[in-house]
Amino acid sequence: MALIVVLALLLANAFAMRPGLFVDQVVGGLVYGFILVLLALGLSIILGLLGVVNFAHGALFMLGAYLTFQVVVEWGLSFWVALFVVPLLVGALGIVIERTVLYRLYDETPLIGLLATFGLALMLDEATRAVWGASPLSVPTPEVLSSSFDLVITNVANFRLFTVLVSVCAITAVYLLIERTDFGLSVRAGVLDREMAELVGVNIPLRFVLMFFLGAATAGLGGVLRGTEVGMDIGMGDQFIILAFVVVVVGGVGSLFGSVISGLLIGEAVFVTPLVLSTLASRTNVAAFDISGIGGLMPYLVMIIVLLVRPRGLFGQEGFLE
Amino acid sequence: MSGQRSPTSIVNRISDAVPVDSVSTLQVPLGLLAIVIFIRPVVSHPLLLGYEQIANTILIWMLFAVAFNLLIGYSGLLSFGHAMFLGIGAYGAAIGTLTWNLPFLLSAAIGITVATLLGYLLGRLTVARGEIYFAMLTLAFAQSIYFIANQNYGGLTGGSTGISGALPAWIESYRGVMYVSLGWVSFDWYYLLATVFVVAGLLLWQLVRSPFGRTLAALRENEQLARAVGIDVKRYKVWAFTLSAAFTALAGVLLEINNQGATLHNLSINTSGDIILMTILGGTNYFLGPAAGAFVWLFAEDFLTEFEMLVLPLSEFPIVTIELSGVLAYWQFFLGLLFVAAVLVAPREGLWGLCRGTLERLYDRINGDQTKHE
Repeated sequence: MALIVVLALLLANAFAMRPGLFVDQVVGGLVYGFILVLLALGLSIILGLLGVVNFAHGALFMLGAYLTFQVVVEWGLSFWVALFVVPLLVGALGIVIERTVLYRLYDETPLIGLLATFGLALMLDEATRAVWGASPLSVPTPEVLSSSFDLVITNVANFRLFTVLVSVCAITAVYLLIERTDFGLSVRAGVLDREMAELVGVNIPLRFVLMFFLGAATAGLGGVLRGTEVGMDIGMGDQFIILAFVVVVVGGVGSLFGSVISGLLIGEAVFVTPLVLSTLASRTNVAAFDISGIGGLMPYLVMIIVLLVRPRGLFGQEGFLE
Repeated sequence: MSGQRSPTSIVNRISDAVPVDSVSTLQVPLGLLAIVIFIRPVVSHPLLLGYEQIANTILIWMLFAVAFNLLIGYSGLLSFGHAMFLGIGAYGAAIGTLTWNLPFLLSAAIGITVATLLGYLLGRLTVARGEIYFAMLTLAFAQSIYFIANQNYGGLTGGSTGISGALPAWIESYRGVMYVSLGWVSFDWYYLLATVFVVAGLLLWQLVRSPFGRTLAALRENEQLARAVGIDVKRYKVWAFTLSAAFTALAGVLLEINNQGATLHNLSINTSGDIILMTILGGTNYFLGPAAGAFVWLFAEDFLTEFEMLVLPLSEFPIVTIELSGVLAYWQFFLGLLFVAAVLVAPREGLWGLCRGTLERLYDRINGDQTKHE
């Protein structure tokens, strides 16, 4: 309780001192958080349902960004084409990966899956470097979304709002598909007891392929949005796969809802903490509070604290993958 | 060690992983000696890499890989952030020497101690969490240490440029070749490095053969059973992690001398990834397998990126000339492919196991012994 009060006071202080910047950072954290959720959702689906930690997920995300570049800049098509086509392409690649490599791994220990997909990530990274080169690239923002939205104290770029909107739609759709439809029910049944589900007539391999497609496509969608907002480089896959796993661990493995909450929490932590600390430093005149670069460290700090206090994550089921 | 050839199973009998009777106990010590004697003349041959200094780097990475295999091969723990120990060893030595003006050996000791302590604490926190959690947690910790070094708090780590020029007083560099000079005697740095390599390798070998090492293998094969017979599983894993961290930090100190400084790349996820690829590619079932993997990896890196044309049959008689530089610049793609194939077919065997199996089959064929074949 005391913790919440302190936190609220710190946030209020930051808002009072730099309202414009505060709102900027909150929106930035929201956008970043939603990208993390898109990525973590696919990772969580594949981990929770198929029992494979897909290290290549980050590479699929990166590929989503590079394919956006290919569609928009190289082929000169509109951003809207990329928004629909790229996730499908990345999802198709996901199917290829599942059919050639991953389906062999379902009966193996999770470690083998991690290693094999790590090798795949390396291959995808090298292939991307071979096709698009090693230097960072960027994509122009579509004109409709390039203006910004006036919030009196600050302006928010429309593209960021658009990212949030698309992410919310995609996340809701995935969530409903798994939790509320017969299809999702049969997939979950297959996870609980594969033999029994097959016995009552569920085509389990087909379901797993479709789930993998879904996971890869959400990663690709994240790549489109992130790539259009800030550009793309070869290292982005590795960087984001680690963060996505942190999100899954903090939210609790096996809980989609947990991934959503923890993704947003970590996104906000990354963006708001530096501002909170710097305003605290100037309010109290203790310069030591203003730790440079604390934002990038926040995901790991959050994870360490959560794991110490509640090892299964915020919404996790006990004993999963332990 | 009868050449495990079961295609996919990761679970092998302990007797396959730890040679007990059939192999002479001198095999690995002799192997270590053979490595340090032959590696320099072999790699510096003009047809291969053509310069001697690469042998230093290869030896250091071999030590790193063998220390890393104490975890993955002998305890079944996959650390995805082992570069942090390498980097802490390197940074410890560099910071102590250059910033605090301490004697080099003391700074190196500080670096190794810090890495060992971190390994112990991290082990206490993470080893009991299941293998995937362990892998990703070590990765996250390594990332945060990378971040801290990059931020350059207190001007200690030099940020993205790292620290350069931190050499012990007894090392002299002359025309790119380093010499150990103790006042009355001076010799190539390689010999000191080779000595440290052999001593550390023998220590690790003894560790693996000790009751401690056997216990590790036992709990890797069947953790429930190990626990049931009264082994404190967590304690053994923590110590395996700690010892691996200590030897990795030693490799880091050697790397610091060899590179005349510590760089951010020592701490990066790429370094952690490379060591995993080398170790698995070499073969985690065998003590020297990872060393072979390190050799193949570094050799490929240097050889293939220099390689420009494939001239057949001989460069004096060019009949077929194939331009390869464009493809081979992306050699990691092909090694990645090899790696994925190795993981899918026989995750614990690697190249070392492959060669060994082939040799054994040949030997059996020559002796007309068909009983071993299925």
